[in-house]
Amino acid sequence: MRLSLTYQGIPIWRHSRVLGWTAQIVSGIVVVAAVAFFIANLANAIDERDIPFGWSFLNREYSTPISEHLLPYQESDTFAYAFLVAAINTLMVSIVGVILATLLGIVVGAVQLSGNWVISRVATVYVEVFRNVPLLVQLFFWYILLLGLPRVSEGFVWLDSFYLSNSGLSLPAPRAQEMAVPWLLAVVVLIAISIGVRAWLARREERTGKPSYPLLGGVVVVVVGAIVAWFALGGEPFAISVPHPEGRFGRIVDGATLSTELTALLMGLIMYTAAFIAEIVRGGLQSVSKGQTEASRSLGLGTMETLRYITFPQALRVIVPPLISQYLNLTKNSSLALAIGYADLTSVAKTMTQTAPAVTIFLIIMLIYLSYSLTYSLIGNLYNRYIQFTGG
Amino acid sequence: MATADTWQPAPSLPAPRSERGWIGWARANLFANWLSGLVTVVTVPLIAWVLWRIVAWVFGTADWTLIASRPQQYLIGLYPTELAWRPLAGWLLVSILFGMAAAMWGGAARRIAIGYGAITLLLGILPYGMFHEGVVMPGWIRALIVANLLTMAVGYALGRSSHWGRPRTFVVGGIAIYVVLLVLLTGLPGMEQVPPRQWGGLMLNLILAVSGIFFAFPIGVLLALGRRSALPVVKILCVVFIEVFRGVPLITLLFMSQVLVPLALPENFPVDSVTRAAITITLFSAAYTAENIRGGLQGLHPGQAEAARALGLPGWQVTSLILLPQAIRNVIPAIVGQFIALFKDTSLVYIVGMLDILEMGRSIVQGNVQFADNGRELFIFVAVVFWIFTYTMSYVSRRVERHLGVGVR
Repeated sequence: MRLSLTYQGIPIWRHSRVLGWTAQIVSGIVVVAAVAFFIANLANAIDERDIPFGWSFLNREYSTPISEHLLPYQESDTFAYAFLVAAINTLMVSIVGVILATLLGIVVGAVQLSGNWVISRVATVYVEVFRNVPLLVQLFFWYILLLGLPRVSEGFVWLDSFYLSNSGLSLPAPRAQEMAVPWLLAVVVLIAISIGVRAWLARREERTGKPSYPLLGGVVVVVVGAIVAWFALGGEPFAISVPHPEGRFGRIVDGATLSTELTALLMGLIMYTAAFIAEIVRGGLQSVSKGQTEASRSLGLGTMETLRYITFPQALRVIVPPLISQYLNLTKNSSLALAIGYADLTSVAKTMTQTAPAVTIFLIIMLIYLSYSLTYSLIGNLYNRYIQFTGG
Repeated sequence: MATADTWQPAPSLPAPRSERGWIGWARANLFANWLSGLVTVVTVPLIAWVLWRIVAWVFGTADWTLIASRPQQYLIGLYPTELAWRPLAGWLLVSILFGMAAAMWGGAARRIAIGYGAITLLLGILPYGMFHEGVVMPGWIRALIVANLLTMAVGYALGRSSHWGRPRTFVVGGIAIYVVLLVLLTGLPGMEQVPPRQWGGLMLNLILAVSGIFFAFPIGVLLALGRRSALPVVKILCVVFIEVFRGVPLITLLFMSQVLVPLALPENFPVDSVTRAAITITLFSAAYTAENIRGGLQGLHPGQAEAARALGLPGWQVTSLILLPQAIRNVIPAIVGQFIALFKDTSLVYIVGMLDILEMGRSIVQGNVQFADNGRELFIFVAVVFWIFTYTMSYVSRRVERHLGVGVR
């Protein structure tokens, strides 16, 4: 018997390129077929079951109240504008929530690592309680807790300018005056200048070796410039409007009033997200090896300097990517506003489906949420690239 | 004394009193410096006061009637009482698994089984509605609940036997029990049917979570592999799927599954709203799981795949035997975190009009004037129930992690 040593080649049904192409073609066809099937059904439903469809409703009057809105809104405004109002409401919750949750999260995360046993335990209990209970339960809890507060006339007052009662939280707020726009423009220009000043001082420091405080210089330019502009423009650009009770029932006027729903939503989102952020911060700080701190201390840097120049910049690289995804989660979780009746994007959209085509509304809110997500990811990724190791 | 030719050091003195025992501990952890001491002095009374207020509220002011008078509704929702033996029988089967796990793995599994047994016993013998009317839990239900301890013992015996006590039996048995449970709840042909719409309470949360985890994990693995695939069509499909599901809030997706999906399916398509919600939660979770696993895959050194190929393993074996086990092991905390999130998200099914434990409780508060002021008690109770499960999950995850030695090498 002779052994054939001629190589026959891989049989066609096991050739990786053939298999790859087959997989692609098959999966492509399956998906296209499925999508076509859904769209055909949808078109069918639109035709036969008289399901409304189209974009024309966007110019119609929405004629439904939106309980709370940052932008001015009237019932005679169009659907398109109502979408904008709701989207801005969600954006506001998201931005305020992100800022406060980050601050609280950093504090709790740092306290967890504190040498003091009592407060580090308290921080751990906080984290384990708030991140393990569904946000919806927490929102309901805060909401009824706030509803259980005394009436406006008997509510809590702090420093004569913060009012908390069962109708919400009132706090001082800046009110734009006529010179607000020129002043803001001036500040924008100052910020641009300060970036240049900072770069120039940094170059000087590098060239001469003399400390030139580039960051401080930049900040001073903005602050001093803004103060000068404030008085030079003649007439204050902003007045602080302080809330105060008025009339027989002590209704709170002026300032900014957050409804009970919005206060509960913000409280819930902030406390919940801060628990996750605290864990991220703790993990990040712990990820910096102890040798780094020891080396820095032995080089003569103090505790604060070690934290500022050695530990924190390294921890930041670990912290930022999961932090961004927490920001996205907070933004998406703000849609639970629907459950307690704050007029965010999802809850307004849900109301809209009663008088307008649902298919179109869903497309629009999906696009708005996706654009928020992408914006956060983009900003986060840019910042992330900025703080990563640079070669060399 | 002259015989001592080697020098012996004097035995070292014990550490000073201020450095050992509880005094030493307190000095190091409570009063390390003046700031720490100040913090301790200020916070301890504050904490004591808060704890005192909480205890006083829980055992004094709070009125737990709305929970004590309706235990059955929190457990199984509006599932018909005369058919309550079905979920209870399913529960008996599930207890076998707890017993088996305790026997097979010991340690953490045993501790969880003991806690589980204690809670079960408590549920069976607690004097519900002791001071109030409205006890709706018949004696036979109590008997069946307590019987879980017997099936746990059976499971323990099975786990001890060399023939049955194997991980494979456990997994296959778990899947079998799960299927039997679902069939039992719905009712076999010929029995009275209870459609998923009537399921509720904690049972519904658990069923949604278990099905979600069971399906989200394999789908997530496939999506992660697809996203890293060299085949452009597959890759694009996976990326689009993952990013769309991750970019939109779950509540919006659930809401779409109720309004939009029925339109996109043929009329009379036999998928009810509960199943659609379950599928939505599963796919949402799968998209997140996929990203976690992708992170794990990216963390592996390319040498692993190259070495496996060089040894002659075919592509699917490189993935399933070399890459995935390592990748998954490295991201266990993230995946368990995702499963905890999934369990918490089951509370969102109220969008679909389902009476899960939270919504069941809310409907009890809203439907009974005497409970109108008891919302706080309800939400704290529901929070504690969820917390017990989620905290157990994260506890197991930490144990498994330590067992597998993640981050140690």
